[in-house]
Amino acid sequence: MKVAAAAGAAGVAGGSGLLLREDARRRQAAAAERHLSPLPEIAETGLVRPPGARPGREFRSRCSGCGACLNVCHTMGYDAIAMAGPRHGRQGATPYIKDMRDFPCTLCMECPDQCPTGALQPVEKPAVKMGIALIDLKLCFGWNGDVCLSCSKACPLGASVFDFYYGAWGNQPYINEKCVGCGLCVKYCPLGGSAVKVVTPEIYAALKDDYLAEVDQTLHISGEERYEMVYGRNLPEIMARGRLVEREYR
Amino acid sequence: MQKASPPTTPASGRAIPWTLLRRSVMLAILALFMLQYFELRLLVGSLSGSTLLESIKLLDVFAFFEVSAAAKGVGLTLLTAVLPVALLYLVLGRAFCGWVCPMDLLFSLVDKLRPGDQRPVKLPLSPGVGYWLAGGLLLLALLFSLPLFTNYLSHLTNFFRAIAGGVFLARDLPVEPAMVAWSLLTLLTLLMLHYFYPRLWCRVLCPVGKTYGLFNRVSLLKLRFDQGDCEGCELCEHKCYMGVKIVRHLDRGKLRDPNCIYCGRCIEGCRHKGKLIGMSLK
Repeated sequence: MKVAAAAGAAGVAGGSGLLLREDARRRQAAAAERHLSPLPEIAETGLVRPPGARPGREFRSRCSGCGACLNVCHTMGYDAIAMAGPRHGRQGATPYIKDMRDFPCTLCMECPDQCPTGALQPVEKPAVKMGIALIDLKLCFGWNGDVCLSCSKACPLGASVFDFYYGAWGNQPYINEKCVGCGLCVKYCPLGGSAVKVVTPEIYAALKDDYLAEVDQTLHISGEERYEMVYGRNLPEIMARGRLVEREYR
Repeated sequence: MQKASPPTTPASGRAIPWTLLRRSVMLAILALFMLQYFELRLLVGSLSGSTLLESIKLLDVFAFFEVSAAAKGVGLTLLTAVLPVALLYLVLGRAFCGWVCPMDLLFSLVDKLRPGDQRPVKLPLSPGVGYWLAGGLLLLALLFSLPLFTNYLSHLTNFFRAIAGGVFLARDLPVEPAMVAWSLLTLLTLLMLHYFYPRLWCRVLCPVGKTYGLFNRVSLLKLRFDQGDCEGCELCEHKCYMGVKIVRHLDRGKLRDPNCIYCGRCIEGCRHKGKLIGMSLK
């Protein structure tokens, strides 16, 4: 009897140990992934606000940091909103979408309904302007000879946001300016570290020309050059990231 | 929220356990807020700003003034959010501080650590300083276009932010640990301040309390006195931790002091157990 009880206890302890190891492994994977940001040349994404946020300074002046949005997001089970910290200076103690890789906004539109100061205002989903998602053409499967479409399947606005370029290199996705910046595509991109990055409308305005030029250039380079780019440079990097990150969705 | 306080005329004989009552109200409201961490949306947000039953927005009155100053305008949302709160405290005066504010609970715990006499001490600052401070904070909000106090310094925001931060950290959800640390530090500073200068925050500094104090001048709820059998022992004034000068108002029959938080300690302290002092809505 004693032996059985001891074995049972050991089994329980072993089980929780396994869970803890699993948890630690998941944390490690998430930490590894954080260094694998797409579009590394865009260092600053700006603070992506919850949906319905008034633009720029207007939002800051009205947000009292009461936490109604953050808490309602938590009760919905999405946990997308975090309070900005002292490192964000003037924007500290205001809500933003911190981790789109695991906790993107689902556009449930509960938070604007709960905001008591009107810093967030109820709006229709297509009119939300949290930011714009940019695809890293060097990392995206679709732009490198594969068929994926995960981002367009994850998008809550679907066909209106996605344009596709068909050609010899397959079905290449492009996210147009109707994107609201919720970040669901960031989460469901299967690439290690994601191939999609959301930037605020302000940041997008500044880098729009460069990004569009890159899209245009990639579409129009010669077959040999494209072959060299995809098989010589991009795919090795994509596969390296795949080996680094073994991801489980939360 | 304070419906538990029926008007008692000084003549009524039964002693009401005020401290027990208000602690219960306080904990009940905190419990309502805690439900949001169990996926129940009865009361979502914090005491700075929240939504009741997913429809009624509530905003602290000082936060309303501060956001209005920062935004340089008063929107419809702001007005509808502050209206229920303002109406409540037009009836109940500064009862928020004694019956709702979680700092009262924390301060009373700190009191247990402090040895010796709990009599109100002479404070290094006059209560008037608080009005200048509140005005200064509103001016800063106007100048910098951000609700400085409610965002960074408010005990209410920080108390609930610390709880939310703790829950998010424990559940491995996105959170800024530095902001949680800031909130804890702010609360700790207030508790230290209270240890060395009991109720200095409530009596002099807190702009939230000062704002609700203004409601005391017009509120329906007030303290009433019946001098009848008073022997002038001044126990009531000794018990008051807000330093309200009760004795000098005894002959006027009622009291409208901006520092009275309707905690009922004076009533409990009175040797005539509820016969001489009472709260009245009339």
